[in-house]
Amino acid sequence: MKHFTQSVVAIALISALAGCGGSGSDDSTPEVIPETGFTFSATDMVANLTDDVIVAGYSNLAVRGEAMLQATQTLVATPTQANLEAAQAAWKAARQPWEQGESHIFGPVDSLGIDPHLDSWPLNTTDLTTVLANNAGFDAETIKGWNDDVQGFHTMEYLLFGDGVADNTKTISELTVNERDYLMGLAEVFRDYTKTLDDAWLISHDGQNGKAYGELLKNSGADGNTFYSSEVGVVEELVNGMIGIVDEVGNGKIADPFGESLAKADTSKVESQYSWNSLTDFSDNIVGVRNVYLGELEGNADKQGIIDFVDAANPELATRVKDEIDDAISKIEAIAGDNNMPFRQAISDADGRVRIQTAVDALTKLQASLESDVLPLLKEWNI
Amino acid sequence: MKSISKHAKLNMLAMTIASVFSANAMSATNPEALADAIAKQEAELTALKSQLQQLAQQQKQQQLQSQQKEAEQQQALQVASEAKSSAWDKFSFKSYGSVIYTSDEYYDNVQDTSPERRSRFDLERIVTEFGYQFNEQWDMEVEIEYEHGGTGTALEYDGFDEFGEFEAEVEAGGEVMIEKAQIRYRPSEAFGVKFGNIHLPVGLSSTLHKPSQYLTVQRHKSEVAMLPAVWNENGIGIFGEVENFHYQAQVVSGLNSEYFRTYDWVASGHQKRFEHVNADDLAYVVRLDYGNFKKGSAIGASYYYGNTSGNRHKTNKLSADGTVEILSVAAAFVEGPWILRGQYLYGTLSDSDAITQANKTTPGLKPGNFAQLGAKSEAFFVEAGVDLGQFTSVPITVFANIDYSNPLKEVETGTATKRYENTWISAGVNYFPIPEIVIKAEAGVQQVAVASIPDTNFFALGVGYQFSI
Repeated sequence: MKHFTQSVVAIALISALAGCGGSGSDDSTPEVIPETGFTFSATDMVANLTDDVIVAGYSNLAVRGEAMLQATQTLVATPTQANLEAAQAAWKAARQPWEQGESHIFGPVDSLGIDPHLDSWPLNTTDLTTVLANNAGFDAETIKGWNDDVQGFHTMEYLLFGDGVADNTKTISELTVNERDYLMGLAEVFRDYTKTLDDAWLISHDGQNGKAYGELLKNSGADGNTFYSSEVGVVEELVNGMIGIVDEVGNGKIADPFGESLAKADTSKVESQYSWNSLTDFSDNIVGVRNVYLGELEGNADKQGIIDFVDAANPELATRVKDEIDDAISKIEAIAGDNNMPFRQAISDADGRVRIQTAVDALTKLQASLESDVLPLLKEWNI
Repeated sequence: MKSISKHAKLNMLAMTIASVFSANAMSATNPEALADAIAKQEAELTALKSQLQQLAQQQKQQQLQSQQKEAEQQQALQVASEAKSSAWDKFSFKSYGSVIYTSDEYYDNVQDTSPERRSRFDLERIVTEFGYQFNEQWDMEVEIEYEHGGTGTALEYDGFDEFGEFEAEVEAGGEVMIEKAQIRYRPSEAFGVKFGNIHLPVGLSSTLHKPSQYLTVQRHKSEVAMLPAVWNENGIGIFGEVENFHYQAQVVSGLNSEYFRTYDWVASGHQKRFEHVNADDLAYVVRLDYGNFKKGSAIGASYYYGNTSGNRHKTNKLSADGTVEILSVAAAFVEGPWILRGQYLYGTLSDSDAITQANKTTPGLKPGNFAQLGAKSEAFFVEAGVDLGQFTSVPITVFANIDYSNPLKEVETGTATKRYENTWISAGVNYFPIPEIVIKAEAGVQQVAVASIPDTNFFALGVGYQFSI
């Protein structure tokens, strides 16, 4: 009886297999795909991130670049302490949208090479001295021909705030006529580049006849868009942008001057050391990450951001990443301690170093989550 | 205590040897015995002389016979080899190369004024040169250079990784380049034509690039900071020798100004990054030497002229010519133990501000902080050596060298920074255990013309070889 049953099963199997073989070219039976992924419509999110976060940020930068040029023109016309302080404030104001924009440092800012023109670091003080000693009446076109390490944010910072060793204040009597003139020339070059960058996102990505980069980002896979063939590519670019700046702040901007021990701390490597604006720079960098993640600039109404994409796949992860971003920002701010210690002092202070290490750990944690939890979601995304 | 006893032993040994010699001298003082001995020896000598004469006659006969035999044998061999007409006779193979160790100080960034020391090994280059002489007039030569250990990818199988995995790996970051691929037609000493990928006779490194042909461990730093070192381009040239005058004239592919950089002027404009070399702008080179730099004393000058904007990839960024002109003057005095060589290079670049601007704003080009270009550029070196092998049995040449370069000598507008003005002063030795191998050591100081940047010291060791079959 048992043998008989086995034979029946065997015959049934064989005939079934034979049947399969016979219908090899007939694909009438649909393949069953296990439902493991998630769905999310990214169109609104990408449009919103492009217009309300990225382009809004660069427009902001261009406006503040213009304001800074005006402040330096006023300073040259009427060199008073109040006008110097106004120019210092204008510099810090322009610094904010730029640093926040570092979370999406792809597209024209990279391809047009604008980043080094605006934000080359470290500053070449030796050459700056030569420039100031041997030239006068600086016009923007001439300055544009000089190497990047004697122009941009940090050259203006040095002229406005002094060397930053003992303090970050400068009096109008310390600012020479030639320094004021150079500052005004630099501000004009700066204004021009920020305008070029804004135009590249709004009008044409190459300043000639190419489409606006914002349009390319919003219309992936359409009209022969050779930059982005699908929304997956766009989201990947955005997530990688966030990872890039978290890595740079944690492992570069903070860790490099920090060194492995107090003896190896190197203040010469601290960015924005003349104005003592370093900690603001770093926290603004991560605020920029939060802007992309949440989908709106601080204080604006809630719109879709990367958080909504993550939420569609894993709501718990979406909240966790938001908390980790907030935590990293507050840990960076906490480096200043109770007595508002600047970063360049904190790296050489025992307690300060403990606070810095805490901030670095928070950034490492955030970077790991973005790399190993958020980025892999792209593979599970059923678009 | 130990060293004292060692000295005592040495002294004793010396005394023993001295006494043995003096004993011999003492024994020869008896005059009668001496006279006897002399007479006896004279007799023996006359006997020997006659024997020798006989022997010499016999040998002469034998030699004549054997010479005849040898001549016959050689004739037979020649006939045999000619009959074979081996292709290998027309084939030549040469190779040279060098490995170096350097230890120098570097600065972390432009703010840094306290240098750190770094030591490095480099399998600098291995060059292989294949030649074939088609007939008396036509020959070809191909030179392949493997720099820094060459480069390559390899597929590796790792059986321990899950079910076994194939992995592609980039092995090294070196370069493999064809440095010369030329065909020559040379009907006479006075005239020849070569074409293909040929060496430009600008800069002495193109002529003297084998490790034994320059005294420093690395090739002259001054030339590298201004010109493509061992400069090769595609083109055609004529050359020849008349009454110890050597002349060359060439038309070759030009440079591309997109890659000109502050620190090495037009050197990185050498088009070797792409599969195709843009040839919309050509360059013209002439050179005249009296004497031969490769063989000894000589004096010579060369001139290079060419536009560079036409060879840019982005043709809409720049319409100015970007003309490069280079003048080189060189002299060598190599006589007996003395070696003295020097070269002066002077270059001009038109529209340098326009090129700087175009390079700064070309999408994706990223010259970064090195866009500013010198409208004028300058470099020189002088090396002097003495071959001690001519005075002693040790084949060592001691030398002193000075290299200077300033690729940013003058800019079109404003004042040029002195950061790129470098001077290297050094001294060292070349030791030739056999003529084909040279072991070098060099130590020196590097000065940047900016007062706030301290001088740095460097040290280098190198071993080089060359042979040809």
